[in-house]
Amino acid sequence: MQQSIIIIICLVAMVLLGLAAAMFRSMVKAAISLAGISAVLAVALFLMGAPWAALFELSVCAGLVTAIFISAISLTSPDRKQPEKVSEHKSRFASLPFILIFAGVSLIAVFILGGFVIDPVAGQVTAGAAVTFREAFWNMRQADILGQVIIILAGAFAVVILFKEGGKA
Amino acid sequence: MNILTIAILTTAFLLIITGLYLLARTHNMIRIIIAVEIVMKAITLLLIFAGYLNGNFALAQTFVVTMIVIEVIVAVVAAGIAINIFRINGDMNVGKLNKLNG
Repeated sequence: MQQSIIIIICLVAMVLLGLAAAMFRSMVKAAISLAGISAVLAVALFLMGAPWAALFELSVCAGLVTAIFISAISLTSPDRKQPEKVSEHKSRFASLPFILIFAGVSLIAVFILGGFVIDPVAGQVTAGAAVTFREAFWNMRQADILGQVIIILAGAFAVVILFKEGGKA
Repeated sequence: MNILTIAILTTAFLLIITGLYLLARTHNMIRIIIAVEIVMKAITLLLIFAGYLNGNFALAQTFVVTMIVIEVIVAVVAAGIAINIFRINGDMNVGKLNKLNG
């Protein structure tokens, strides 16, 4: 029960940080809010029983992606050119909190009153449920690992081409 | 449904709404990438929730690891494109990308 309460607190924090990421005018603050979402999500994943996913989420999404965003923001510094008016930004996103409150209340009402049954069934064991993460990753998903390696290489080549200096033009 | 299931599903949908709203309303390229990342966090949560439902956490975690790899590559390449566009146009506003206008 205590674990469920901590997970629910993490989920509420995720929604608030998502709202902050959208509402902040400063891009750096928005990127840090995104890192906060990743960190809180990692805590929730760990408590739900997915430690490997939490590890990747925390190290890669909260760390690496935030570093990429901060680098991109510092390289572009869009605020220096034509600063977006504060009032314009606020008016553009002013309706988001109300939309989220309305959608949240509506969703909770639908889930409670709708009679949906999406709960885990006690004792239910699906096919492959007994395997460990290592077995699932290295034995069942070999084609995916190859695909991930190719994606990483493609990303590296894309970055090299994007940042290639000079050229014949 | 128990309260944890309701909280997870509601959070995931609210994050998706936040990301889509941000995508629809912003013109800044970095903010667009942040919106895509927010939606991907919601999908990560839903994937682990699927593993939580059927008790198959190992497979769900492998899917999440694959998704995180793709997420990082998307962020890196999109940020690289945004930086290059800023170098050429001097602006991050997607509404002002009119160099291909006929």
